[in-house]
Amino acid sequence: MILIHCPYCDDIRPELEFAYAGEAHIARPADPSALSDAEWEKYLFIRANPRGRHNERWRHVHGCGRFFNAVRDTVTDKFELTYKAGEPRK
Amino acid sequence: MADAAVRTAPVPAEAAEFPGVSIALGAPLARWSLRARDPKALAKAIGHKVPGTIGETLGGMACLGPDEWLLRLPEGASIPLGEGLPLSVVDISERAVTLVLDGDRAIDALSAGCPRDLSKFPVGYATRTIFETVEIVLIRESETRWSVDVWRSFAPYLWTALTTAASHLR
Repeated sequence: MILIHCPYCDDIRPELEFAYAGEAHIARPADPSALSDAEWEKYLFIRANPRGRHNERWRHVHGCGRFFNAVRDTVTDKFELTYKAGEPRK
Repeated sequence: MADAAVRTAPVPAEAAEFPGVSIALGAPLARWSLRARDPKALAKAIGHKVPGTIGETLGGMACLGPDEWLLRLPEGASIPLGEGLPLSVVDISERAVTLVLDGDRAIDALSAGCPRDLSKFPVGYATRTIFETVEIVLIRESETRWSVDVWRSFAPYLWTALTTAASHLR
């Protein structure tokens, strides 16, 4: 089982306590009504989907309940590091 | 028409006994979900110190998250609501029931479905975690005694899972 470090609990917990929540650092448009359809599409659906290092959101849903960000390698499934939501991209 | 709410137990009232572990429905408790960004506001409202790190317990109060606490007191207890303070106090007494596991092998019965390494779970520690597919709040009350708070509607499933696991202990 994968063990994931929760930056809020500051503890390593089993993967079953967590839920994946998509790519990280996707900011909601400040002025949504000004966006064109193409920009909306980009915001809503277009994701980096890299092969390798990926910044993504996880939620410690069966634990402290907090969303946080993680860097995971999509090839090896190894977690490089995790950090709190709101911190800059790592 | 009777207007009194009647509490029914979702699991058998008699404890299930196995070699090394007994599993029983705990006494009804008063429970509150307490949320506050600032623990000091919460301490001011309830009038005593609150546990500061996740997992810590203090006076029936467990810190479940950075801004979330679970307070469990004997049935009938009441707490101040902290009017005017930036916090949320929600009575969730009837949302959950407690299953109490007692005995040397309780840790083995719990480990059958809980992915945490329970041998490293300190006495007095409490955490939200998962058992099979059911979310639980697990509290280690002593070396051999564990409390499992589970949502009422999940309790029959958890009871079956735990008693089945306990019946397989060798």
